[in-house]
Amino acid sequence: MARWEPGDEVDEGLSALRVHDASPERVERIRARGVALLAARRKAGEAPAGRGAPWRTWLEPALALGLGALYLAAAVTRALAVYR
Amino acid sequence: MDREIEVRLVVRLKAGDPAAFEAIYEAYRPRLFGFLVRLSRRRDLAEDLLEETWLRLVTRSATLADDARLGPWLFTVARNLYFSWRRSRAVDASRTSELDPAWPAPEGGDSPFESAARAELERRVEAALACLPLRDRELLLLVGVEGLTPSEAAAVCGVPTVTLRARLHRAREKLAAAMDADRAVPRAKAG
Repeated sequence: MARWEPGDEVDEGLSALRVHDASPERVERIRARGVALLAARRKAGEAPAGRGAPWRTWLEPALALGLGALYLAAAVTRALAVYR
Repeated sequence: MDREIEVRLVVRLKAGDPAAFEAIYEAYRPRLFGFLVRLSRRRDLAEDLLEETWLRLVTRSATLADDARLGPWLFTVARNLYFSWRRSRAVDASRTSELDPAWPAPEGGDSPFESAARAELERRVEAALACLPLRDRELLLLVGVEGLTPSEAAAVCGVPTVTLRARLHRAREKLAAAMDADRAVPRAKAG
């Protein structure tokens, strides 16, 4: 039965297999797409008022709560005025 | 790739540095393509899967661990993409034993004798690899050709290391037997 030992023809053959590469056009296309995606991600991350800006995480709920409270106060005031 | 350099590149890639992407791309692209083309035995498919693998790296780079090992990560993605493609197409690649006719010819550089001997050995290894079942072939490519450790290859294939070692041993024996058979055929014809 064949045995796998260092220096075997099989070992030598596997490690000596030539390196292949994709076509130059495809190599460049992948590189360009990768770089463009990274640049877009970086740009989105640097936007001052972007979707991921940290202040939005607390300002939006605070505004919603404040407006809700004002609306409720106005409704209660109107109801009390009618009652009187 | 040196481990310290790799860690620095991962950190820079996570920060969105295009130069880091290009450095990783240059280091791993030929290895990934060789793995994919020998796994699938189709250059066009290997190129498509190669592109998808690199786009996955870019789109998921922000979630990489700082100490992520790029080689196993990339080979895992490439392998999973190929197996997904096989499942989606329900193709049994083990029955398409013909090597890609567009396979590049051996390159020169050595003496004619050395070139001929190397080309002959390479031809026999490529032919024997192509005859092996896919599961055996992927192990030999990952460990024997790409130099991953058995534990890294086990992580790529999603099996325990002990299982992988046993499968690898059997795969190597099958490859040796296939190479011997390939050598025996011309002798038999000559005799």
